[in-house]
Amino acid sequence: MKRIAALAGRPNTGKTTLFNALTGLRQRAANFAGCTVEKATGVMRSSGGEIEIVDLPGTFSMVPQTEDELVSFRFLSECADSPDDLIVLCVAEASNLDNDLVLPAGLKAAGYPVALAVNMVDEAALNGLKFDAAELSRRLGMPVALVSARTGEGMDKLDGLLSPSSPLRADLSQALDFRRASKKRLHELQETAIETARAAAAASVTLPRRSILPVTARSIAIDRVLLHPVAGPLILAATMFALFQALFTGAAPVMDFLSGALGALSSALRARLPEGALASLLCDGAIPGISAVAVFVPQIAILFTMIGFLEQSGYLPRAGAMVDRGLRPFGLDGRVFIPFLSSFACAIPGVMAARTIPSEKRRIVTILLAPLMTCSARIPVYTLLITAFVPEAFRPLGFNGRGVVMAGMYAFGIALALLLALATKFTSLHELHPSPATVLPPYRVPSARELARYVWARCWHFLSRAGQVIFTLSLILWALAAFPRDAALLAPIEAELASARAASPADPALEKTLEDRLGAARIEGSVLGRAGRLIEPVFAPLGWDWRVSIASLSALAAREVFVGTLGTIYALGGESDPSEGLIKALQNAKNADGSRRYNVATAVSLLLFFAIALQCMSTIVTVRRETGSWKIPALQFTFLFGLAYVLAFAGYRLTLAFLV
Amino acid sequence: MTLDALPMDVPVRVTSLSGLSAFDKDRLSGLGLRPGVAVIKILKTPLQDPVECLVGSQLLAIEARLLSHIRVEAS
Repeated sequence: MKRIAALAGRPNTGKTTLFNALTGLRQRAANFAGCTVEKATGVMRSSGGEIEIVDLPGTFSMVPQTEDELVSFRFLSECADSPDDLIVLCVAEASNLDNDLVLPAGLKAAGYPVALAVNMVDEAALNGLKFDAAELSRRLGMPVALVSARTGEGMDKLDGLLSPSSPLRADLSQALDFRRASKKRLHELQETAIETARAAAAASVTLPRRSILPVTARSIAIDRVLLHPVAGPLILAATMFALFQALFTGAAPVMDFLSGALGALSSALRARLPEGALASLLCDGAIPGISAVAVFVPQIAILFTMIGFLEQSGYLPRAGAMVDRGLRPFGLDGRVFIPFLSSFACAIPGVMAARTIPSEKRRIVTILLAPLMTCSARIPVYTLLITAFVPEAFRPLGFNGRGVVMAGMYAFGIALALLLALATKFTSLHELHPSPATVLPPYRVPSARELARYVWARCWHFLSRAGQVIFTLSLILWALAAFPRDAALLAPIEAELASARAASPADPALEKTLEDRLGAARIEGSVLGRAGRLIEPVFAPLGWDWRVSIASLSALAAREVFVGTLGTIYALGGESDPSEGLIKALQNAKNADGSRRYNVATAVSLLLFFAIALQCMSTIVTVRRETGSWKIPALQFTFLFGLAYVLAFAGYRLTLAFLV
Repeated sequence: MTLDALPMDVPVRVTSLSGLSAFDKDRLSGLGLRPGVAVIKILKTPLQDPVECLVGSQLLAIEARLLSHIRVEAS
């Protein structure tokens, strides 16, 4: 038997800060059984022994309405069935006791052992509130501690309340089973709890004479600026612009440094190790695998520093409220704004940012659609195709045509996501009852310690969970691209390369050409290369040849790999002048009959395919981690792949019919 | 009078919630918007919806369509 303390309370009561203060770094994240809602559990070392602390999802009342709330109540009933010693530690915001005491009063009436932590007493002091903890405890019939999880004030009292040696152990056989309780019974409990809470708050809290609390009055004054009809949207746009800039420019130097350092490590190893499978495994498999994981960490850290800051300051719910009306016709709400915006940099932090959405269905819809936003990995692919196939002379309304097409690709991603969101209104993923109102918490200065903990938790979660799988899959993909080695195909090129290296004077250009040809021949003979030829008929209707098919297959690891693979394949297959680069190679590539191998129609089909298909192993793994099953990423991959294929086919055929 | 007809910054008290779906009524009640509580309409967000209101001691952004269902009286 172990003691479990379940932290329950309304959102914005500082529950998570209290959880962090109680458990320190002894935390782990896990999913609640049967759903995607994540629970954080940790161990508290009290004077009487260890206590497992479970941070339950936020709960507004005794009548659960969202999946998150159902999960909390279900968890309590499951604990009541188990032999474990349960205590519910309800967390209430000191300045909002009228509302926050309803849950502890209701749970107590339902037969659960409850202790109360009245949190944020430091902020309540600024509001001029005074508390009689003994009276509150007497009225509610439960032990009460006045605390500030942020400053640590009163936390020692919680040790006494939660310690396994404390006399809270209750007989749970009579506790209400929330899994079977009728709505009528829950409403009765809620009504009784409202009265108890009101009476307890009135008897134990001394209010200042002012009608509006000072902290609230300050928030209203700030809202008059930040939610102003003109200034509000401008400030929101500036904030999002800064976030976007920080994601792109702030992360880039660190990402470049990491890529550079790992690249240098790879070169150093390659120079020291004899050429062969081991060198290839390390330099082409393991190091790029580590790189594929590590390069995302700066973006995740920057994004979550900014999201954490906006969330803790109280601005995030206001930003959501500002765009809420515009998104509602599409079956979305303001809370999808940040995940979608983040996905323009990279879908991984975008998918992870969807955690701030409390409704499970809406979170899943957001996760499903976030990869449609044009992420930075698509930029090299778009740039290559647009530069190669959109003529310089194309200047609609005097604008740079290539820029217009690039902007069009961004707009296409957004429009498709909104259209698909509209379509989900007719599926079981539609949130029938979006919340009709949201709490706008008071503006607060974020705590650096809490922010650091928040960012660390997100980065560690990514590294420890998604990172392992991404690394493993990178190795598998390397093996597919490296084996088998077709000696008959490789031997003549290797011999040529050896003689070029031995020649005097050295010809670096020739050596590079031969190395590239060797690389191309290795891919061609590998499982991946053979698969490319095998699937060529599948992609032929889209106007793709085996080279583009292989490049697209290898881009399953990451979209930008498409450019590298195509570059390697085209690297002087003897078809074009290498010094002119891949763009010229694509423009000048000819079929055996002398006709152009690629044209605008091929580019349209590739652009559409890359805009839609979920060609990102790291995103797939992250979705798996965030949703707790392979079902959703499998559905997402299949659906987006199918849609990409159909639209790429339609785009190819229509362009052929009208433009080529 | 209902909350939609009320000017900004006038303190009132909720008397009843009528014509709302059971879900919306329960949700608003859970959020603290129930008969007897003091309300002040603060401002409309830039797209005119939702509307920020001070409900008891907390600020709520309430969908504009609900305001005509919230009956209030001078406090």
